[in-house]
Amino acid sequence: MAKKVSVKEIQTTCCYCGTGCQLLFTVDQDANKILDVHPVWGRTNEGTACLKGWYGWDYLNDPQILTKRLKEPMIRKNGKGSPLEVVSWDEAIKFVADNFKKIKEKWGPDSFLGAASARGPGNEAGYITQKFTRAVMGTNNIDHCARICHAASVAGSRQTIGEGAMSLSIPEIENAEVIFNIGYNAAASHPIVARRIVKAKEKGAFIICADPRITETARISDLHLQLKGGSNVALVNSLANVIISEDLIDHEFVKLHTKGFDEFWEIVKEYTPEYAATITGLSPEDIRFTARKYASSKHSVILWGMGITQFSQGVETVKCCCSLAMLTGNFGRPSCGTGPVRGQNNVQGTCDMGDLPDVYPGYQNVTDPEIQAKFEKAWGVKLSNKAGIQLTRVPEFVIHEKDPAKRIHAYYITGEDPAQSDPDLEEIRETLDQVDFVVVQDIFWNKTAEHADAVLPATAWGEHDGCYTSSDRGFQRVRKVLEPQGNVLPDWEITCRIATAMGYPMHYNNTEEIWNEMIDLCPKFTGATYEKMERQGSVQWPCWDKGHEDTGTMFLHKDGHFATPDGIGILKTSPYHPPTEVENTEFPLSLCTVREVGHYSVRTMTGNCRMLRNLEDEPGWVEMSLEDCDKLGLREGEIVKVFSKRGSVYTRCKPTERVKQGAVYMTYQWWIGACNELTISSLDPASRTPEYKYCAARVEKIKDQAWAKEEVARIYEDLRSRMHIVKEEVLA
Amino acid sequence: MNSFIKANPIRCIGCRTCLISCVVAHEGKRIFEIDPDAYNFNPRLFMVKTARVSAPVHCRHCENPACKASCTSGAIYVRDNVVLVDTKKCIGCKNCVIACPFGAVEIVETAEVQHDGSPRKIANKCDLCAGVADSPSCVKVCPTQALALVTEDDLSESVADKRRSAAVAALV
Repeated sequence: MAKKVSVKEIQTTCCYCGTGCQLLFTVDQDANKILDVHPVWGRTNEGTACLKGWYGWDYLNDPQILTKRLKEPMIRKNGKGSPLEVVSWDEAIKFVADNFKKIKEKWGPDSFLGAASARGPGNEAGYITQKFTRAVMGTNNIDHCARICHAASVAGSRQTIGEGAMSLSIPEIENAEVIFNIGYNAAASHPIVARRIVKAKEKGAFIICADPRITETARISDLHLQLKGGSNVALVNSLANVIISEDLIDHEFVKLHTKGFDEFWEIVKEYTPEYAATITGLSPEDIRFTARKYASSKHSVILWGMGITQFSQGVETVKCCCSLAMLTGNFGRPSCGTGPVRGQNNVQGTCDMGDLPDVYPGYQNVTDPEIQAKFEKAWGVKLSNKAGIQLTRVPEFVIHEKDPAKRIHAYYITGEDPAQSDPDLEEIRETLDQVDFVVVQDIFWNKTAEHADAVLPATAWGEHDGCYTSSDRGFQRVRKVLEPQGNVLPDWEITCRIATAMGYPMHYNNTEEIWNEMIDLCPKFTGATYEKMERQGSVQWPCWDKGHEDTGTMFLHKDGHFATPDGIGILKTSPYHPPTEVENTEFPLSLCTVREVGHYSVRTMTGNCRMLRNLEDEPGWVEMSLEDCDKLGLREGEIVKVFSKRGSVYTRCKPTERVKQGAVYMTYQWWIGACNELTISSLDPASRTPEYKYCAARVEKIKDQAWAKEEVARIYEDLRSRMHIVKEEVLA
Repeated sequence: MNSFIKANPIRCIGCRTCLISCVVAHEGKRIFEIDPDAYNFNPRLFMVKTARVSAPVHCRHCENPACKASCTSGAIYVRDNVVLVDTKKCIGCKNCVIACPFGAVEIVETAEVQHDGSPRKIANKCDLCAGVADSPSCVKVCPTQALALVTEDDLSESVADKRRSAAVAALV
């Protein structure tokens, strides 16, 4: 009987993608052990989950497959080059606080950059990270990984429709009549969103997919526009061209709710389907058909992902997508609008919490004196009104900046692994080694921790409370499932301790206290109390009022009232430019980075889940056309070496009918087949998002496969030992 | 009539949640506690991806199974409308692999070690989770409901519906 009492069921939100699926854990609390995990009903998932939801909790058991859990604070007492030594929390906090203080005094507040985490820590930790950066360090140099994924969506949407989030909700997708997926493969990035697309198709929706590969989404589409990689702007401009020149626009909507039509037409008039066909490789007929089909419904939805944002013209493509929806009056009603579907579990939330260099929590501009005054009053300090720099510019402000007074000298990285996730890793490693003081706060050893001066161990998802924001603006609770093992603390508590040690006391008893401080400073979130989240399960922002009547907002821009200052949407786009680095004789293939459905982010979590690792493991794959494989004499599974101007990696060859000759694709989660050794660090000038989706590469055959296999195994063992896994421990 | 699992390629998104669920069902929850290399990850269904199709391939549980007819050791048998392999009897002769018209059987290594130190190899195929779960695990976990267990009742109902439609159409 006594044993039964300790078994408890705890519902929480999945820690993987932005869909925000609800999972139910059965836990033996006495044994601190997970007995069962399965999906339960939630607003977005309706009781379903993908493989990561079903089997992705296993890293909580620290199986030490890819990397080991961080369990003690560590510092390099004798500076760079000396070993990381385990110390008490007090010593670690003092060490970090003293160094931050020293750097701030010597080089000024803008010599610091904080990277918040869009993963496990949650919204409350995100709020604390930006508050620390702004109130304690005195700078707006705060950013997070949205920069390397959907920053272009935030920038492009805010410039046109005023709000950088999905205008519609995930459940609305299934009632759309036309779904235009561009650079978005829901099947790999959000299987539970893909489920809605499948349902929409069964209900009769027409599905269009613009993608250079035959993705799963392309495969289930009614029309696949297999465009040349990097030609998105030409395609969307030509769709606008057809919509306008064939008079398929919603005149009333455009007249009442938009401006900038003349300037917009001035740019898109050149993009006739015939002209766009020469850039995209599509047929003018398919372009016309797509434009007509899209404009034919008032329930047309555009969904996009990294396939448009991770280009140097990411923001431009987003602006034009928003314009297409405005031209056809596809905003402000259910099942229409724009859907930049967020990749990581809390990347929407980390944007919401103001972990961005230009906005406070709730998208309030740092340059607005009234807003600044409000936060100064609340936090009791003078704040900077200068927008900060983006994290993708760290190399520029470290190794490429000649003047030491303008450099970044301290980098506080929470729950991110730039040495795996950022483009051109050689450059990143050099940068990390040259920053005077690097702090890594994380749950696992990772590649960045190797360059850190202090390593602070945090609790993981499942070991703390809080809330995440799903991709469709839904605040949902996450709950503590297990007692954490080791000398770890929640992220928010670590940051608060550093702040306090620096002379700015930050004390909260729980995450709800942090949340309550935040919502009172952010009108759009004020009504989203913990109590409301408990009652409704999910509260979609804007939610202005704490009263029961305000249940949140299902879709944005109701009746065509946009979130711009004057409520009017702005039609915008730009002329097409080719990608920065194109194929050449030395590197004849285009390389695009894509996603492995069973793995997540930098793979510290899923790489340590037994089932997900057994489904797919190192050194990953490079997808190649059958023609290119024939030319090089490659067979499936063979180990190959992939080169770009910046580096080379080993991976396995996967011949597939799904890619076109001349283009190759690598999933970014692998540590051996780390495609970011190859990618280019050129950035979108507006969003500073890197061009992961296009660079020039070459694949080479390795004659001695037995040697190659041994070499890969050796690299794997080396990586694991660098991540502090001792082989005997694993086998025991 | 034997039951079988039918995949709907319009719904399948190729995510392979079904493959993992198959291994979890057959190996038991202990695999969340042991070294991931200490057992063999052998799903009993196979994801096939061509340019236009993604779908898992399962055993059809044929009424006159070619695998059973070809089995040299009498390891393949039918019980409660499911075609099963008696793993103890199986000698790994591969006749079933050759005989199966769907490619739904394969020979896999088990964790069992033979006298000479080599791993024992046996035929592996879908058993509709007989004896390991109340219903086929792959059907239960599929996020897009792309898999369905088809029983004799389901089939006769569907046939009756089609006949009804055909008869009504004939009137017009």
